[in-house]
Amino acid sequence: MVFNGARTRRCLNELGGLIFPAVVLNCVHHPRIFSTMNEIKADGASILCTPVSDVDSHVQQSASVRLDHGCSSSSVQSTPEIEKKYVHHVYDAIAPHFSSTRFAKWPKVATFLNSLPSGSLVLDAGCGNGKYLGLNPNCFFIGCDISAPLINICADRGDEVLVADAVNLPYRTGYGDAAISIAVLHHLSTENRRKKAIDELVRVVKKGGHVLITVWAVEQEDRSLVNKWTPLTQKYLEEWVAPSSLRIRSPSSVTLESIPEAEENGLGEHLKDCNEISSTMKLQENMHLASQSNDHSGAFINGKNIENQQEFFVPWHLPYHRAEVSGASACALANGLAKKDDKKGAVVYNRYYHVFSDGELERLASGMDNAVVVDRFYDKSNWCIILKKTL
Amino acid sequence: MRLLTHNMLSSNIKGVTNGFPLRIEVEKVVEKPVDFNADFLKNMFAKIEWKALVDASRILGYAELPDEAEPSMLDSDDFLKKFHHALLELHLEEGALVCPETDRRFPVTKGIPNMLLHEDEDINNSAAFLNADTV
Repeated sequence: MVFNGARTRRCLNELGGLIFPAVVLNCVHHPRIFSTMNEIKADGASILCTPVSDVDSHVQQSASVRLDHGCSSSSVQSTPEIEKKYVHHVYDAIAPHFSSTRFAKWPKVATFLNSLPSGSLVLDAGCGNGKYLGLNPNCFFIGCDISAPLINICADRGDEVLVADAVNLPYRTGYGDAAISIAVLHHLSTENRRKKAIDELVRVVKKGGHVLITVWAVEQEDRSLVNKWTPLTQKYLEEWVAPSSLRIRSPSSVTLESIPEAEENGLGEHLKDCNEISSTMKLQENMHLASQSNDHSGAFINGKNIENQQEFFVPWHLPYHRAEVSGASACALANGLAKKDDKKGAVVYNRYYHVFSDGELERLASGMDNAVVVDRFYDKSNWCIILKKTL
Repeated sequence: MRLLTHNMLSSNIKGVTNGFPLRIEVEKVVEKPVDFNADFLKNMFAKIEWKALVDASRILGYAELPDEAEPSMLDSDDFLKKFHHALLELHLEEGALVCPETDRRFPVTKGIPNMLLHEDEDINNSAAFLNADTV
């Protein structure tokens, strides 16, 4: 008998051959009951809003954002501000739309999961919309994610899930047979946190258990994509998160060129992910800000420091008809964490990424005394690693 | 939340020595059928903390599991079915999981436990941890 885990789970179509992370096949339109955003006033006033969420989240307003690069701080946080603002809140706000674009199964992940013995318990830390939960019908999956809205989407499908932090998994040691972390660690803003997350993945599997980790690579197959990302510097971060100063420094009329949007409802056609297409003005905006900063780290060539740059904002365009009027998007706009793009009819969010360089993932994992690297590979612009727990 | 999951969850609050098992506060229990997989049950039997499973299933209103179990019982279809039912088919839909040492409640809503810690509970919340950054 095939073991589904729950009869209520619907089976997702296996498209194969995906595309990770930027190009999405078949953007399927899911009707939602969201109103169009006609009257959102983004006046930049700092309003303390709590996004609609089932989670008792602690939203702290902060005028500036720091990457915790060894800065001593009297105010200690469990989750760095940049992750709260540019990862957690973004995914909470875009969850249904994000989920509708994340359905194709990456073959390498599928291979890993399908290679597991029948009856395995698989832990997916940072499961997102639960794309991989239940992929192998002979295994049982437990997923967790820090985003309650994304977890709700999984639960609606009948998956066994919980809201938890990948840096501190609430799991007994050695319970799982295997664990996966697919496109998660690049959202952690310090090396210490990334290392801890890997430690946790190994901790929660049994001796002899395997862990698959994939992260976005610095070395993107589509180089033009990186040009559409916004590289971060300390100075830029301070300007970005203080909307008033941003308006002073940036060109008075930042007009965004309208780029022909790919048809979102196209079925059976291969489309570029419309959310990864950003205006060329983005690059010019960054150049302008960079030229005004006094102590930008590293040399800027054409507005960005190409060689050492691993910290980025990657845009997500949330169409107005997908965004809630009185929910997360309204708060984000009011707080200056998102911008309206009327020409595209979308709220533009930025997601924080630390993309990994060649060998970085392996270096993080190599110092472990209870796990060894059994495979490492590059695939579709991602660095991937498989660990085996030895003790 | 299934009892399979409950058997894995542990309070990870800073300073807690043994956060397992979490106590269960029940508000709503639901039963949902799940396909039977003997391989999985036998695999899980070795991992399960049996007493925690028995206690939890009774709190959820199911009293069919024996107080103690041995691997030889896996040969019994009757035992397997009861094990299957307790492990996979009972759901805590609404309620809470309670840390055995601190009494901190982790809410369970629509079957989803929220195990996120507050800042003062998180072991990652320390200057030493955050500042030990080699980037």
